[in-house]
Amino acid sequence: MLSPALLGQVFLNGASLSAIYVLVALGFTLLFGIMRVVNFAHGAFAMLGGYALYTLYGVYGWPYLAAVPAAALLVAAAMVAEAWVFRWFYHRMLQSMIGLLGLNMAIVYSAVLVWDVYERSIPAAFPGLITVGGLLFPADRLMVIGIACAVLAAFWLFVTQTRFGLAMRAASQDVEIAEAQGIDAKRIYQLAFFIATFMVALAGGLYAQIYSLSPFMGDRPLLVSFVVVILGGMGSIPGAALGGIILGFTESILSTFFGSSLSTFVSFGVVIALLVVRPSGLLGTPEAVRA
Amino acid sequence: MIEGASSALVAPVAAVRVSSRSNWAPLGWGSAVLLVLAWPALAPDGFFLQIGTLVMLACIGAASLHLIIRTGQVSLSHAAFMGVGGYAAVLTQSRLGLAFPLNMVAAVLLPAAMALLIGPVLLRLTGKYFVLVTFLFGEIVRLAFTQWTSLTGGANGIFDIPPLPPLLATPTGFYFLSAGTALACIGLVMRILASEVGRSIDSIREGERLAACAGVPVLWVKTLAFTMGCGLVGLQGALSSYHLHYIDPTAFTSVQSLNFVIMNVIGSMDHIAGPLLGALFLVAMPELLRGYVELQHIIFGLILVVVMAVLPGGLFGLYGRVWPRKRRS
Repeated sequence: MLSPALLGQVFLNGASLSAIYVLVALGFTLLFGIMRVVNFAHGAFAMLGGYALYTLYGVYGWPYLAAVPAAALLVAAAMVAEAWVFRWFYHRMLQSMIGLLGLNMAIVYSAVLVWDVYERSIPAAFPGLITVGGLLFPADRLMVIGIACAVLAAFWLFVTQTRFGLAMRAASQDVEIAEAQGIDAKRIYQLAFFIATFMVALAGGLYAQIYSLSPFMGDRPLLVSFVVVILGGMGSIPGAALGGIILGFTESILSTFFGSSLSTFVSFGVVIALLVVRPSGLLGTPEAVRA
Repeated sequence: MIEGASSALVAPVAAVRVSSRSNWAPLGWGSAVLLVLAWPALAPDGFFLQIGTLVMLACIGAASLHLIIRTGQVSLSHAAFMGVGGYAAVLTQSRLGLAFPLNMVAAVLLPAAMALLIGPVLLRLTGKYFVLVTFLFGEIVRLAFTQWTSLTGGANGIFDIPPLPPLLATPTGFYFLSAGTALACIGLVMRILASEVGRSIDSIREGERLAACAGVPVLWVKTLAFTMGCGLVGLQGALSSYHLHYIDPTAFTSVQSLNFVIMNVIGSMDHIAGPLLGALFLVAMPELLRGYVELQHIIFGLILVVVMAVLPGGLFGLYGRVWPRKRRS
């Protein structure tokens, strides 16, 4: 049963799931960390990313590697214009949850109007298998991992090496102090929003390609980003990365050997237990006690 | 910043609170109860009577969640408890052959017992952490409904729910059953909120630490409110499965839990009239827009965005704004 081929498959599934989960959850945690917004519309953006990729690559036949970032940019551009919806909700957590849930509903059903409810599939970009050391790997999955790693590396460099990244980190720690140091919070919000939407739209495209595309496909990424972000600690960027990797591999291992419903049970159960014991998550900072 | 975020979960209270002891309150409640009782005569056709029944059922869930929300804890697993109540009623009837009143008792006791067990653990968390953990708990319960096929029928649900006694089985009879249950639940919640326990509940929401210092047994009061709220919503689960003659897990997803929260937030989180207004709005609106299914969701979503962006006190808060209350003497 535990052949190297199976283990390789499990590992590859885990790695590609993790890559997508990290992309989704990073945007979610970024919005939460900086704007204190619980983005219930996150899944809808993933869905739009999927349809953008479908249109550009599947319908117009752009070359794949150009279509992926173009699709993500398309969604991000649309959402920068939409930022006037989000602006109402910055630093208003409960209102943001419900208002953005409404936005999610509006986007999802607009997509139903435009593309109907049937599931579609995006044609595989790299069909075929790659043989490494006697093991077979589907090329599609490897490419998903590659793209996600490239984007994540770019994001990491941006956050740690540039002045805008520094400003973003400062704003996520304390907006008022950051503004007092001359950081334009509105610009930072727009930037963070753009980056978050870009990443989730890209992840949505990759997700839709591996699984399937429908207006309701956003539910799963939304749920995943919840779990990942709680696991890692809300608002913590390394936490989202760690949480995504843990969840991706756990799901891949458990669902291969025990079935997918048990894997959901276990991952949710563990997260609840973790929340009760350590509410701030694995890498989050505990909340300050009110004096 | 972090503190500000967690206290944002608790609505700005003092600004919009409308006292139930104001002069207009008895008149408002009286006419509302009259309207509810006269609705079968006023409704132009069976469709509107059905909407009335659905609104009454939703009022049970919204009002019972209101009791929990008043402690400052926003629960996203309310629909899961509703499901537990629904399955408890249906299974005690079909498997154990108990009579209808006993089914309803089971529909209250089982979710209440569950809430009593997990409440003391979960209610230690506050703010967003409680929201998230109850969200996950709701998903786990829903998974249990789907996976425990031998008991719940899994995703197919249970079809052969025996009919109610003939007097209650007619649309009008069932309407009065739902309305009676809803009014009783609302009355109970109002009575609790007006009692000393209610004052403890309000004090916990306003300042948990201060309340604890003043001798309020915080965790106990929270658990009490949580248990009662979850028990009451079991009634809605039971009644709506009798209404549909069918029960399946899709009615008890996190979407339904969110709907209950939305009813509270859209109406008002500070006054019992809020969730009732919210239930009316949330249930009747989509039914009246039935002709345009996709458009209905889009419009509804946009309304949610606008209400949340512009009316932080909810629809009932609007009342306090348009007619500013005289200072309490």
